[in-house]
Amino acid sequence: MSSIPEYMTTKHRECDAFFSEAEAAVADKNWSLALAKWQLFASELTEHLAQEEDTLFPQFEQATGMTAGPTQVMRMEHQQMRALVQSLDNALAAKDKDEYLGLSETLMVMMQQHNMKEEMMLYPMMAQHLSNGDQLIEGFKANVAV
Amino acid sequence: MNMSGLSFNALPPIDLPFRFFLSAPLFIIACALLVLFSGETLWLSRWQPTMLALTHGFTLGFLTMVMMGALLQLLPVIGGIGIAKPRLIATTSHALYCVGVIALMLSFVLASNWLTLAALVLLSLGLSIYLGAIIWVLVKKISQGDSINCFRLAITSLVILLLLGILLLANRAGINVSFITLDKHVTDFHALMGLVGWAGILIIAVSFQVLPMFHVAPNMPKYIRQYLGVSIFVLLIVYIFYTEFALGLIFISHGVFSFTLLSVINQRKRKVPDTSIKYWQLAAGTLLLMNLLYFLPDRFYVSEETPLFISLPDKSILLTAVFIYFYLLSVIQGMLLKILPFLSYTHLQQRCLIDFSAMQFIPHMHEFLNKKHGLMLYYLHILSGLSLLAVIFEPSLYIVFALCLLVEFVWLLVLMVRCMRLYFTVSQKINLSNPP
Repeated sequence: MSSIPEYMTTKHRECDAFFSEAEAAVADKNWSLALAKWQLFASELTEHLAQEEDTLFPQFEQATGMTAGPTQVMRMEHQQMRALVQSLDNALAAKDKDEYLGLSETLMVMMQQHNMKEEMMLYPMMAQHLSNGDQLIEGFKANVAV
Repeated sequence: MNMSGLSFNALPPIDLPFRFFLSAPLFIIACALLVLFSGETLWLSRWQPTMLALTHGFTLGFLTMVMMGALLQLLPVIGGIGIAKPRLIATTSHALYCVGVIALMLSFVLASNWLTLAALVLLSLGLSIYLGAIIWVLVKKISQGDSINCFRLAITSLVILLLLGILLLANRAGINVSFITLDKHVTDFHALMGLVGWAGILIIAVSFQVLPMFHVAPNMPKYIRQYLGVSIFVLLIVYIFYTEFALGLIFISHGVFSFTLLSVINQRKRKVPDTSIKYWQLAAGTLLLMNLLYFLPDRFYVSEETPLFISLPDKSILLTAVFIYFYLLSVIQGMLLKILPFLSYTHLQQRCLIDFSAMQFIPHMHEFLNKKHGLMLYYLHILSGLSLLAVIFEPSLYIVFALCLLVEFVWLLVLMVRCMRLYFTVSQKINLSNPP
């Protein structure tokens, strides 16, 4: 049994929380709070995506031999999410509330769909195929602590 | 492990759900005209043929139409698998179903045997094709979950509803059905299966998915997800034998659902103003109000004695109208406000997985459906809902109701057309940027 699904799912929820706080702050036009929360979200997201792309996905691909499968699609979706994050950065810098809220609704829906696929399919598959799952997660936790 | 769950090609082409959505407001617009030209007599009893045309226009023409379109799209997202041959199935079932509903409405108004038979054949054919395809997906081993189980119950209710409808229509057309007495109890059961079984359980199933997904709300408690749908379904069956007992518990179950809805909505993390949330809150409030109305002593309703303040109209008409208009229609409209931009965006976004540079052409979700326009729909909905209540108390106000309906659903149609037009414009741009 591996803690991959548990840990990675918790991270999704943490991202959602920061994201929602930033969005609510924008809706209230509290730009300084919005920026603070948004930066928390952005750094959590960057770290999470890196953990997947640099560690979990390659390990999974190696263990299963599936290089053109689900991980490939997840990488492409990550790329799209990064593009939206960039647009949100710009909207926040320009203090453009309507643009920000339109983009945030979009990123939210994209992330939720993406997370659902990972949580329902990919993470359980990883737990099944990666015997060193616990070690990998311990490594993530240690890195965060540093 | 089922790998197809991660496949993105399971989404049916967007014009298939879109055509169900687009036809739906047209039926309500037809209903509005019917109200406008039928006058006061329409509101005398639920057995008025025109009233039957009206209720079926709302429930089949709008509610079921939207739900059929949405299910085509929801199954792949939630269950990881879509129906086989989607274009063939959706096109034929949609065409047969639309003509069938028109024939049914006309058959009530014109009392024509020929039209009744046409409705019977067209509706059973159209729905059977659709149901066949959906049931094929639901019995296959797809991702399990509480929502999928509720979908199964909702679809089962639709099957029962359809069979009873066929019997009732056959009886109307003069075909003698000897093994069952088609009395008021059967019609009540038919109506209840439609409103509470098919539409109601489907909405419950959808709420399990969309509240966490769109609003970052916590999941509903496990006992609600596991037992609410199945309890309501069992109560519907119990209703056949113990009418009053089952009905009371059905109302109470919806009261429980309402409290759960309100609590989950209240705990959502995404607090940004949102019209769909307003629709959910309105729907939850409606369920509570319905409990109050249902358990109110009969002396408050039309009776010989003078009630406390004003006498309420016929209880079943009032409760049915409130349930359809303020509960079912509210949730469906709230969902449409999310689904229309969501579908448009998702379809375009998936094309850009391969051609990343085309991402620049895709508008964000509020450009597909402007938030202020959505909010306007909500206010129009409340206004026409209030005018419906007014007309139930005072039938001479039917013109107000008809006009409110007309405005609301023309507006909904406009929002849909705008969203779809933007979709096709952007799709064209992506095509041009990336010639095949």
